[in-house]
Amino acid sequence: MTSLTTFYLSGIIGKEAFGADGDAIGIIKDLLLNAVPSGMSDPNLQLITGIKLKIHKETRLYSFKTFRVVKAREKLNVSCSGLIELSNEEVDNGLLLVENILDKQIVDLNGRKLVRVNDVRLATLPAGTFAVAVDIGIEGLLRRIGIAIPIKILLSLFKVNIPAKFILWDDVQAIDHSNLNIVLSKSYAKLHTLHPSDIADILEDLGKKSSMSVFSALDEEKAADVLEELETQTQIHIIENLPVNKAADVLEKMPADEAADILDELEDEKAEILLKEMDLESSQEVRELLEYDDDLVGSIMTTDYLSFSATKTVEEVLSELRLKKPESAELYNMFVTESNDELIGTFNLRDLVVAEPNVSVSQIMKSEPVSLFDDQKTRAIAELVSKYNLLAVPVVDRQNLLQGMVVVDDVVEDLINERRTKRR
Amino acid sequence: MNLRRQLGIAMFRKKIKDTHFIRNLAIFFAILGPGIITGSVDNDAGGITTYSVAAALYGYGLIWTLIPSFVVLLVIQEMNARMGIVTGKGLSDLIRENAGMKITFFIFIGLLFSNIGNTTTEFAGIAGSMEIFRVSKYISVPVTAVLVWFLVVKGTYKIAERIFLIFSVSLLTYVVSALMSKPHWNEIGSAIIHPQVEMNSQSIAMVIALIGTTIAPWMQFYMQSSVIEKGLKMKNYRFTLIDIAVGCVVTIVVAFFIMVACGSTLYPAGIEINEAKDAALALKPLAGAMASQVFAFGLFVASVFSATILPLATAFYVSEAFGFEAGIDKKWNEAKEFYILYTGILVISAIIILIPNAPLIQISIWSQVLNGILLPVVLVSMILLINNKKIMGTYVNKPFQNIIGWGTVIILTGLSLLLLIMPAIS
Repeated sequence: MTSLTTFYLSGIIGKEAFGADGDAIGIIKDLLLNAVPSGMSDPNLQLITGIKLKIHKETRLYSFKTFRVVKAREKLNVSCSGLIELSNEEVDNGLLLVENILDKQIVDLNGRKLVRVNDVRLATLPAGTFAVAVDIGIEGLLRRIGIAIPIKILLSLFKVNIPAKFILWDDVQAIDHSNLNIVLSKSYAKLHTLHPSDIADILEDLGKKSSMSVFSALDEEKAADVLEELETQTQIHIIENLPVNKAADVLEKMPADEAADILDELEDEKAEILLKEMDLESSQEVRELLEYDDDLVGSIMTTDYLSFSATKTVEEVLSELRLKKPESAELYNMFVTESNDELIGTFNLRDLVVAEPNVSVSQIMKSEPVSLFDDQKTRAIAELVSKYNLLAVPVVDRQNLLQGMVVVDDVVEDLINERRTKRR
Repeated sequence: MNLRRQLGIAMFRKKIKDTHFIRNLAIFFAILGPGIITGSVDNDAGGITTYSVAAALYGYGLIWTLIPSFVVLLVIQEMNARMGIVTGKGLSDLIRENAGMKITFFIFIGLLFSNIGNTTTEFAGIAGSMEIFRVSKYISVPVTAVLVWFLVVKGTYKIAERIFLIFSVSLLTYVVSALMSKPHWNEIGSAIIHPQVEMNSQSIAMVIALIGTTIAPWMQFYMQSSVIEKGLKMKNYRFTLIDIAVGCVVTIVVAFFIMVACGSTLYPAGIEINEAKDAALALKPLAGAMASQVFAFGLFVASVFSATILPLATAFYVSEAFGFEAGIDKKWNEAKEFYILYTGILVISAIIILIPNAPLIQISIWSQVLNGILLPVVLVSMILLINNKKIMGTYVNKPFQNIIGWGTVIILTGLSLLLLIMPAIS
């Protein structure tokens, strides 16, 4: 017996398992994988813990410890030295390879996209049997239909190879956990390493049920970032189906303008319920933004901005920033206001960094700054941004009181959308 | 991965906050689409040919088949819409995930071949209709094929779809053709109420072909992805139902008038036809050159519309089921299989038409037969999926929907078997 046997899931499913005396004991229906390892270096990671056997019309899960898969003369043989039923806890912590993985979509973490599993490659080592990789190539497809070998022989006459495509188990994330009772956030742990916009793309391609369960497993910060990146249709689907308190928590974490955009697409009653559930400060900001019509500057401005009084010193401003740890967009442009919020100047990060610590803000700011009115049409933004090369433009009302700012990122999105609709 | 970016219409975004009526109207127009587009694509060259041939052979005798076809079409499309809305997944995804690899393989290889046949029929329609306008098929077919390829790959498909939708109004030209052919309404009425057709293998084959072309298997996939793409919700379901009903009515009404036009002219004159083009030509002495050209124009538009959608949709569903990367926004290297499939279907179909003396009628018959075998398989998968509580939750089928669904499967399978046995008996 060799110490390493590799085989495919499709090679043993539907086959019979044999007892120590060589008699068939049942038909193999599925394998259970340990899905909740105690850590990334857990030796039991990817270990096969259970086997689903059909013995006389009855299907049960048994421990895989007493099973062994051996390859003898190119033939797979599954042998068993005794049946031990699995405890509920072990079942709950597992992932069924046929039910949850095979033919299902999973996330390829390196390619950052969904792929469909054609087969699973497993390996038997002295320490146990492990899932090694998923097969997403054409060869796996042909193997499943049972014509891989004849076609391979045929093609080898023409010196053509069927490309095999594997992804290592480390680099995949299963999506379908429908039979599990375990905490979802744990089961989607690997997904958290992806960038929010990649997660958003994946969510958009998933079915309604799966996209909800994946989204629910994200922590609030990540959830807010992902929600921001989603297309309107998916945003609405998720917010409508999330429990109200969770939806409100996520909306609070989002920039007010993005939250307002989503709420604007919802039905009025639903939006009202969510606004009531949100904390007062966030909901008020959002409410103000909701007042603006879609084509006005006010509707796309953010109310997350930084403003200081002219008498502050550079040092004071810097320490305030260190304390607040603002998002990078807020640092594009900072504003100087009178005590009544009247805008009197702007400065950026560079002005701040190159200045001496004891200089006052009034000395480094640019007075009479370029600004937009909140009730101006959004068309005006693009011209202003490109003319003055600004990353963020302050928005004031007709009394010159600061209301918010328009960030170039949001404008770029709108400009691209506009061009796209024109092209179509 | 799905059709979202390729086959849809831009979402209707602006929210109307005014009165209830305007709001409902706005929702309706926002939702309008999947059913009506599917209904229009349904009357493609294959459909027009089958309706014309049936009417030329049996006069008004087979018009009654449109009534059961309508009911079945409505029920099936409703099922597709419901599955799409509830799961957010395409039919090919659902079949692959639940029916296992072997059935998936059978369905999609069958779909691939039958759709190559169907696309060939579309090109036959293009060639035939342009010949009426004295354009050689050696010009019309390659030019259309290249145009269609660029239209789709260069991403101007959205504009194209809208143009097609407007053009699909030209399907109503069949109404004009029919009225010009001076139909006998009394006879039509009594033929529908008291259908009298002798049972023989030819008439059974004709009935299968009529039902098969009205409820083509690939349309189920198309319908479901258009619904997902539109982002429809269960909340506005009644509007979706209206959309589906309108689409089905359009399909059946157009089919009805084609059959009336040909049944009023070709049948009494005893003219047998094999292609839709023949119908257009034959209409000329009987109903005038105008009727013939109107018919040809309708045929051309319908053929190009379907020749654009069929290869693209087929490449998509096959890729989706087998897990190939798909999408015209992907580069050749990222989605090789998808592009090979799409281009392959177009090129093969166009080449078949250009072969001198190609057995077009056999090809069209064989793709109909494949459709006929596939349809019950697809329907059975659909009915099993939609009754699965794990997938559909509370939105599983109601008993009457299951009765109509299973009834269709049994009748279609029965007819197909009868057709196979018939030659052995007689």
